[in-house]
Amino acid sequence: MIFNVATVAEAFASPVTLWLVAATFCTLLVAVLATLLLAVTGLARPALRHELWLRIGSWCLLLPAMILPVLAGKAWLILAVTLLGLLCLREYSRATGLFREPVVEAVAVLGLLLVNFAALDHWYGFFMALSPLTVSLMAVVTIPLDRPSGYVQRTALGIFGFMLFGAGLAHLGYMGNEPTYRPLVLLLLLSVALSDVLAFTIGKLLGHAKLVPATSPGKTRAGALGALLGTTAIVAAIGHVVFLGTVMDRPLLLVLLGVLVGVGAQAGDLMLSSIKRDIGIKDMGTSLPGHGGVLDRFNSLLLVAPAVFHFVGYFVGFGWDMPKRVITGG
Amino acid sequence: MQWDLRPARDFGLPAAQRLRSHAREPGLPSLTVHALWQRLVRLYLLTFHRLAVTGRENLPAAAPFMLIGNHTSHLDALTLASVLPSRLSQRAFALAAGEVFFSSLAAAGFAAVAVNALPIWRKHTGTGDLAFLRQRLEEDRLVFILFPEGTRSRSGAMGAFRHGIGVLVAGSAVPVVPCFLEGAHAAWPPGRWLPHPGKLRLKIGAPLAFSEVPKDRAGWAAVAAACEAAVRELRDEHVVVRR
Repeated sequence: MIFNVATVAEAFASPVTLWLVAATFCTLLVAVLATLLLAVTGLARPALRHELWLRIGSWCLLLPAMILPVLAGKAWLILAVTLLGLLCLREYSRATGLFREPVVEAVAVLGLLLVNFAALDHWYGFFMALSPLTVSLMAVVTIPLDRPSGYVQRTALGIFGFMLFGAGLAHLGYMGNEPTYRPLVLLLLLSVALSDVLAFTIGKLLGHAKLVPATSPGKTRAGALGALLGTTAIVAAIGHVVFLGTVMDRPLLLVLLGVLVGVGAQAGDLMLSSIKRDIGIKDMGTSLPGHGGVLDRFNSLLLVAPAVFHFVGYFVGFGWDMPKRVITGG
Repeated sequence: MQWDLRPARDFGLPAAQRLRSHAREPGLPSLTVHALWQRLVRLYLLTFHRLAVTGRENLPAAAPFMLIGNHTSHLDALTLASVLPSRLSQRAFALAAGEVFFSSLAAAGFAAVAVNALPIWRKHTGTGDLAFLRQRLEEDRLVFILFPEGTRSRSGAMGAFRHGIGVLVAGSAVPVVPCFLEGAHAAWPPGRWLPHPGKLRLKIGAPLAFSEVPKDRAGWAAVAAACEAAVRELRDEHVVVRR
């Protein structure tokens, strides 16, 4: 069955998986203890403590929601990516006003569902074909409404949304077709989160010069550089173990992979900042207390998923030896 | 290049507050549920109540406009909403008693998502809220379904129209379409749990315009009186038709 849940031995077949999960929960535990210490000693202001608890509470729900599907198996990973894509698309639609064009949004949802289905089916041809096909459908679907005013805006908003949260994000789920996907996917999920934390912390400690103040006033050049260096180092180091014995296990490729994750994560963050600034809003939603909306949390993943997929795919591929089109046959 | 990027009016509101908010703009999930609900209701009204509609040609082709009528039953809003084509039904909101339809979260979810209702609270909804609804009616090009008597008639006889309808449309270009529904009180009067089968006849009258009416107390009263007269006229026409 497709929705089989992996055994513990399967889930933790790679030692890297175990390290990453253990390290994550240790970090969370340390954060809880540190906040408790602040509460007991009364060092932090109550408002700050409340904010910290909100963030930690959100992480306590988010981390299992991110990690468990990765451990459980390919189909669960793809299901989680599909749900994440739908939530992101919904927030984006309501922020940009795309939701007022339900026909366009429905095509974006259709494309998103199909592209994730193609990943589940392990049908690379369809997976790739869905980008131009969905764009084509979106370009014609509102013509029968005979309402040319606003055509470019609604079509462009629909295509942008589908590309980011459908076609782009689905690459993360497609990685599940490689039986040894778990350490790489976990590494991506955790390293983009780490990049956010590093940029924030280093920026607070050392940052003066702003990066792009009109787009995102909080971000500093020091934070951006520090996060890039830190993320690159960690991804390259852990990547060395993940790709042990493959073509990818070369210093140059591992560093390039790290740079790709580091740049992609921050670019995704700045991309969402640009969208929010253009609309004139602060957060994309209120569903994750302390973070904002789902998109505010997962923006750094959006550009990393397709970039890393094609970089790693060029050298080692994803599921080349595995059965193709497992659902549709053919 | 300047685009018109407008977030939803209820953007950033927590889900429970959204359901009761006058700023609620339905998205794809609500619209889908609402469309399915409309189909069910239409089928129910046709089979269970053999709904007969006259005067459909009086419905404006495009929003904004208001649908008003006499109020004797929970069937009234469902029947008035059911005559709208799906293109208009998407933007049609029933203004419903908050105390009855939005008291619990489950009720509010059903009223908001399936029926597409907006709450009017007897105690809390003031002129400021009505001014906001008036603004939404015009700017968002909506259809409001409203029963100006303010409550279901316990006897089935029509009561006096209240001024709220005047606050919404006096001095505005939004037309008001008067309707009279006959048979709803017999089928599902106030106080009964479930409806009985019974013939429903809906008569839709010619739209009324109030763009010249002043936006003050006298104007609101004039609008309410004119609307009430139009609905009464439809009622009396019914009697003639039946003889």
